[in-house]
Amino acid sequence: MSHRSLPRRLYRLVARAGTVLADRGMGPAFLLPAVILLFIILVGPFFYTIFLSFTDLSYSTPGHDGNFVGLTNYRRLVTDDPVFWHSVATTLRFVAASVSIEMVLGFGLALVLASQAHRPRAVMPLLLVPMMLAPVAVGLLWKLVLQGEFGMVAYYLRKIGLVADDTSLLGDASLALPTMVLVDVWQWTPFVTLVALAGLLGLPRAPFEAAMMDGAGRVRIFFDITLPLMRPLLAMVLLLRTIDAFKEFDKVFLMTGGGPGISTELLSIYVYRVNFRNWDLGYGAVCAFMIYLVVLILCKLFYAALGQAGGGKST
Amino acid sequence: MSRGWRGAGKAVVLAAIMIGLVPYLWMFLTSFKSRVDALSDTPRWVFSPTLAHYPEVFLRKDYLPLVWNSVIIAVGSTTLSLLIGVPAAYAFARLSFKGKEDLFFFFLTTRMAPAISVVVPMFVLFNKLGLADTRSAVILAHSTFNLSLVVWMMRGFFADIPAEIDEAAMLDGHTRAGAFVRVILPLAAPGVAATAVLCFILSWNEFLYAFILAAFESRTLTVGIPGLVTPHGTLWGQVAAVAVVATVPILVFTALVQRHLVRGLTFGAVKG
Repeated sequence: MSHRSLPRRLYRLVARAGTVLADRGMGPAFLLPAVILLFIILVGPFFYTIFLSFTDLSYSTPGHDGNFVGLTNYRRLVTDDPVFWHSVATTLRFVAASVSIEMVLGFGLALVLASQAHRPRAVMPLLLVPMMLAPVAVGLLWKLVLQGEFGMVAYYLRKIGLVADDTSLLGDASLALPTMVLVDVWQWTPFVTLVALAGLLGLPRAPFEAAMMDGAGRVRIFFDITLPLMRPLLAMVLLLRTIDAFKEFDKVFLMTGGGPGISTELLSIYVYRVNFRNWDLGYGAVCAFMIYLVVLILCKLFYAALGQAGGGKST
Repeated sequence: MSRGWRGAGKAVVLAAIMIGLVPYLWMFLTSFKSRVDALSDTPRWVFSPTLAHYPEVFLRKDYLPLVWNSVIIAVGSTTLSLLIGVPAAYAFARLSFKGKEDLFFFFLTTRMAPAISVVVPMFVLFNKLGLADTRSAVILAHSTFNLSLVVWMMRGFFADIPAEIDEAAMLDGHTRAGAFVRVILPLAAPGVAATAVLCFILSWNEFLYAFILAAFESRTLTVGIPGLVTPHGTLWGQVAAVAVVATVPILVFTALVQRHLVRGLTFGAVKG
């Protein structure tokens, strides 16, 4: 042991103590700005929504700042607003139809890609295009190709006899919602494919090799091994798509604006209309609050699914 | 695997690609079509292209400032979210403290928060604060989803860096904050870049917040699109031109972050 080692040890000791002290302060210093920003832009507005929901604030009466009206708005929502409940039903149909089709098509396409042993990911950049476009642009381009008189897709659909000559896919009250579903499927199926393919390619090989040795067929292997192994991931994708479909606004707003009539009026579009067309902000706050609650519940489910899909490998 | 089976698979993949690309290609072509070609009742795939719509809508109709608004808002929101979110992500990756996972869940809910619900109170509050129709209002609003995207993605990237590296840096005399800035951050730079690009894309593509909070002076390209669609006599060439300018940069950016897309869109659950 040389005499130099003592100062060096001392130095290390001091440095270590300093580090520990700095560490103490680091957690808050690193986390607080993010938490504060979220309180300003999210938690504050959230509670302000609840506050507004007890008032009759309306921008259609100038100078009126909103009086406290108790539970009036909530009573109106439950007993006196069939249009709201119609939009709830429309939203549920939209979500159920688009998400289930996306899951089946998206996972199916991922299985096909994974079975093409040579570089299964190579075509993903081309497949991804629809999901990267701004939803408003997607709405626009579908409005363009579905136009009755000159729309390219409408023309070919008529040509192959899928659509009668005089039907307008966006203008017919019974066809408009299914059309919205198909556009959503067009945009988001690639997302399911992308994630499912990543999951499929990351599966352990051993169970498959063992099953092949035992002479199991392709179908058996799919149902007994692939599907169970993929289930946590698929559950996560399903919830993610459900949450996003539940919030859908842009495409439908651009293509139909909720019409014809109220046939495609999703919850988000109804809430938009109450708040920013009728300027009924007190009542609109109640409706907005309801959407928030549903998403919060879906979020909780998603978080649970995420823990399973991550398989405990998250930090 | 049989040859027929593989051929069928190829056909399915090809069909999927065509279904995805052809409508977009059609819009792209429409932006170069004269009015007669665009409104022809049989689809015209071959036509003599015109460049007139781009200057018409961006210069004469003054849509150029919208591009600028989109850029400023996307860059602003990305920068704000990175500055605040990256340190928070590091804290989540390295420190253990009470209520950590609850706080993390809270960040998730902000990513998922329905815009239509958040924008109602924001609209009233920003009006009271005099922030109506400003780019700052939209930048703040876009941080609702971008900040949590940063926290979620970067936590994963930091977790991939072994904690021993921090410890070694601290043994060399760095404080933990110093180790973070001088040693860990450079190692995580590719992750930061990928996250930044994703933030930019999300903000650039966003419609509802921007539409409600800044519908006039500060409106973005996406907000400018519906205004050009009218019940009768929509000038499809011009709207298509706006949509092309609004989407082509994003497709280029997507190519840059391809590798990190899965992780970014699944909250780090799948590494892709």
